[in-house]
Amino acid sequence: MAKVQVLNVAVLDNPSPFGNPFQFEITFECMEDLPEDLEWKIIYVGSAESEEYDQILDSVLVGPVPAGRHMFVFQADAPNTGLIPESDAVGVTVVLITCTYRGQEFIRIGYYVNNEYTDPELRENPPLKPDYSQLQRNILASNPRVTRFHINWEGCAERMEDSENVDPAPNAMLPPSCPAGKAPSLGLMPDNSMDCL
Amino acid sequence: MKLLKPSWVNHNGKPIFSVDIHPEGSKFATGGQGEDSGKVVIWNMAPVLREEDEKNENIPKMLCQMDNHLACVNCVRWSNNGIYLASGGDDKLVMVWKRAAYIGPSTVFGSSSKLANVEQWRCVTILRNHTGDVMDVAWSPHDVWLASCSVDNTIVIWNARKFPEIVTLLKGHTGLVKGLTWDPVGKYIASQADDRSLKVWRTMDWQLETNITKPFNECGGTTHVLRLSWSPDGQYLVSAHAMNNSGPTAQIIERDGWRTNMDFVGHRKAVTVVKFNPKIFKKKQKNGSSQKPSCPYCCCAVGSKDRSVSVWLTSLKLSHGTLNGLGILVCSMDGTVAFLDFSQDELGDPLNEDEKNSIHQNIYGKSLAITTEAQLSTTIIENPEMLKYQQEKGPVEHHNAADHETQAPKLTSVVNGESLEDIRKNLLKKQVETRTADGRRRITPLCIAQLDTGYFAYAKLSKYWRPQVLVKSVFSFSSSVNPLGTGAAPAVNSNNIKPNLLLTSAAKIEPMKALDSRFTERSKATPGVTISSSAVGLTMLDRMKDGGPLKDPKPKEETSSDSEDKMAVTKLSFTKRKGEVEGPEVVEKKKKGRPRKDTKMTPVSHAVQQVTPSLEKETSRVAAPSAAMKLPTVTLQKVFSLQVGSSVFVEVENEVSTVGGVRFSQLRCTREGREWDTLLTSRILTVAGSSEVIAVACEDRTLSVLSACGRRLLPAILLPAPVSALHCSGSFVMVLTACATLSVWDVKKQVILVRNVSLLTILSGTDTTVSQSLLTQQGVPVISLSNGRSYCFNSSLETWNLIADKQDSLVQCADFRNFLPSQDPMVSSGPLAIMQGRTLNAGRLASRLSSTPHHLQQGMTLAYLENQLASALILRSSQEYRHWLLIYARFLVNEGAEHRLRELCKDLLGPVHKSAGSIWEDTVLGLRKRDLLREVLPVIGQNLRFQRVFTEYQDQLELLRNK
Repeated sequence: MAKVQVLNVAVLDNPSPFGNPFQFEITFECMEDLPEDLEWKIIYVGSAESEEYDQILDSVLVGPVPAGRHMFVFQADAPNTGLIPESDAVGVTVVLITCTYRGQEFIRIGYYVNNEYTDPELRENPPLKPDYSQLQRNILASNPRVTRFHINWEGCAERMEDSENVDPAPNAMLPPSCPAGKAPSLGLMPDNSMDCL
Repeated sequence: MKLLKPSWVNHNGKPIFSVDIHPEGSKFATGGQGEDSGKVVIWNMAPVLREEDEKNENIPKMLCQMDNHLACVNCVRWSNNGIYLASGGDDKLVMVWKRAAYIGPSTVFGSSSKLANVEQWRCVTILRNHTGDVMDVAWSPHDVWLASCSVDNTIVIWNARKFPEIVTLLKGHTGLVKGLTWDPVGKYIASQADDRSLKVWRTMDWQLETNITKPFNECGGTTHVLRLSWSPDGQYLVSAHAMNNSGPTAQIIERDGWRTNMDFVGHRKAVTVVKFNPKIFKKKQKNGSSQKPSCPYCCCAVGSKDRSVSVWLTSLKLSHGTLNGLGILVCSMDGTVAFLDFSQDELGDPLNEDEKNSIHQNIYGKSLAITTEAQLSTTIIENPEMLKYQQEKGPVEHHNAADHETQAPKLTSVVNGESLEDIRKNLLKKQVETRTADGRRRITPLCIAQLDTGYFAYAKLSKYWRPQVLVKSVFSFSSSVNPLGTGAAPAVNSNNIKPNLLLTSAAKIEPMKALDSRFTERSKATPGVTISSSAVGLTMLDRMKDGGPLKDPKPKEETSSDSEDKMAVTKLSFTKRKGEVEGPEVVEKKKKGRPRKDTKMTPVSHAVQQVTPSLEKETSRVAAPSAAMKLPTVTLQKVFSLQVGSSVFVEVENEVSTVGGVRFSQLRCTREGREWDTLLTSRILTVAGSSEVIAVACEDRTLSVLSACGRRLLPAILLPAPVSALHCSGSFVMVLTACATLSVWDVKKQVILVRNVSLLTILSGTDTTVSQSLLTQQGVPVISLSNGRSYCFNSSLETWNLIADKQDSLVQCADFRNFLPSQDPMVSSGPLAIMQGRTLNAGRLASRLSSTPHHLQQGMTLAYLENQLASALILRSSQEYRHWLLIYARFLVNEGAEHRLRELCKDLLGPVHKSAGSIWEDTVLGLRKRDLLREVLPVIGQNLRFQRVFTEYQDQLELLRNK
């Protein structure tokens, strides 16, 4: 099971001018002392069309993490405007916060981001070349999209073990009436549990 | 009898495989299938019992749900004391849950469900050993052991006082083990398996007592579970699925000779579950004057695949075939739960625990307390004190634990006297951020609550509640009874309507869809997960085509090489960077206001620090050839503020005023709401403080020492070189200069403790730099290096002592986890723990993975623990010394290292008779050695092998006390 549960993410300084740093206040809980750091990343999706334009705004190690409830603020600079396709500067995109443990991503929190000109004049007639100084970034903070992934918290050795160990009697013990909902085997279960509003 | 099916108790239509009522009767747990995982739910009992409570919207129905099991949960069981809940599932895991009292309910972040968890139950331990689905779990009387059985044909007995320690593995079944039950007096445990046998095991030596096969010979078809049950008086064991003359029965097995002469007949299909009410009953006396009790009896419910439940009353000596009822919860694979309610008239009066104990004593001739430890039944206890320790073991632990509880609630609401709201306001500014050796950002998260703080409060409360809640002898009963008809109302499925999140333009719908996938797909570059991506294989393939997977590593590399460059430059020389003015706040900002729990120690990172040109100019003028500078100096800032003590804040403004060409710098200090300020002639580089003093290092290499109220205690001290790090603790002031020399003074006593000692001894090799430094409360300086080693300077020996080494193989291999006390808040805050930090955990992990031979592991653990003890001693960290001493003692006791144990005890005891030549000190680090011995003795008392050692030192201590 996941040793780290994200309890809350508060989006700070929102809405804000496009050039302001992103600030997320993250509260999480850890069941037992983690021997390794967590790695958090903020990824800005530059264009819906291709991942090519994804920008990792920053990555930060968080640790040490003893058992308990913790919080920190993850601040990262605004995206490099030079890397954003001009046609995608205004409008809706996505910012992602991911957390990995031992190189395995176990949670992905996504927010829609709306970049708009505040000036009605500009909104009506947006300039061909986006004017980032006039853009406002609005993160739809009330609608986080959280995806959790099962990972191997104990490191890679155990994963191997899990996938290699075949149940002594795979599913033989299930009564015939056993519902199909019972998950067959775990080691291979990617579990894409997605909660959305 | 009333039958109720509370429709709100459900897992959204998914099957429920187990139900268990809390010993207090105030709540119950269900276990079964969740959406895509296993699910455990804790429910409130009151709305089941009373209709008005069910209708009252202010009374919560669901208290907590846990989706942590990766696959279907087969069994949930409350511990006898009601503190823990154990759950076992198809994910091969057993999880043990405990209630944590955080403030306020919590929801699952990002979940559509607005239902809050009213109670917070946290998984405190995960027990991994089974290689197949866990089918049943059972707590032994007094919660000494937890047993689990699995389709891997084994039964694991876990030490419930030292999870995840395994007491033993019971092997012998040749089929899937599907049910477990403990003898109520703790002498046996019985298991039933698909191999058509029921086995009874002795807890004394964990060997097979009897193997019963005859009633099961005819058994054919499979049942999901085979939950057998032992009667609370201990006289009868009733099996699940047995056959008698081709008819399904529940076999009654008498304890006396394990005879199998009787059975419960009547079910048309296989019996899956048998459950005795844990209480013993007696008939109500109609005329209150007569106190002569009627013959006590037990009550038993039998559930079957024929979708029915029968309830039986058995007298102690004979089994009546009386069908009768009482309060039972029954769960079914149709995902519903039914409650059978009975009045006390129908039921009879439950005996209280004392009466039950006296019945046990009458039958078995000894008290339950004695049967809790296996060895006791075979070993004669020679010493009454020893007996006391053996008996008190449990209560003692509980008592100590209860002491923590008084401090715990404070921790949860406020940290260091600050409310959570205040902390949140300044979190970004105050949080500790450092750079790792490879230049990456590292944030130390602020701990806002420790886990499990609420447990003891809860346990304590329940002690008082219990008598009132005793009420009904409700008991729970779980089965895989097939659906009870079709009446079950199908739960309205939350149809996943995706709300339109787009508040703005409809034109953007297309890209939105494209964006949607971004929320759910894991980064491609995560190593070791390629196997698991098979389910999302299609999209992954698409990505490959786009060359997507190649994209990610690129920026990654860029960032890392970028930071390496930065590091290289900083390391090479400071002068080279003259032209570039790196944002000077960078470093100071990170040091600001450290909202630590333990503000007495203030480690500061020096990983990446730059010298601003202005400072360099200044320093070279003042002297100190920059060539000799081994360590980075502190960057000058115009204005900065930092927290130097628990409630002491310092604000510095350099060159605040110019009077006739002379510039002054101002230091303003706020201590517990009172403010003072002072002026200095040179620009202030850094400030450190403690409850007693404040030290200020200036650009002109002077060090000023001020009292807590701002009085100057000494004229300015001229340092031999620019300051690199400054610390205060109590009346101690520590200065680390850029020339890599270290000094520590006690400014109150006006003595020097460490005189300008060079760090060159420990800074071997060109690459090593100081990554952290701190000063303990006892004035011991500690330096951490970038190579993962930490040293402290021992002023009496004038030596550098290695106290932590991240590469130390001993640390990696030592296995002492089982000897750690269950609750120890100290260990994370002492100087040793701070310096060793993560290594401590690394060792624990490695111990699990390595397959080192036992004797080697033992040796490594021993060496490691002795190192820890010696390090704590040299750091003069008394609490850590005590902590490691007890772990060490536990280890010695467990490993049977008698010589070392005796030596340890001997030193703690000292000479019983005073002699002139004795150099024995009666205290160590301010702790009285004999008090320590008193703490160690109960540890020794836990192993009967050492009862002679125990007696010897117990007697001598007694002798000394009486002197």
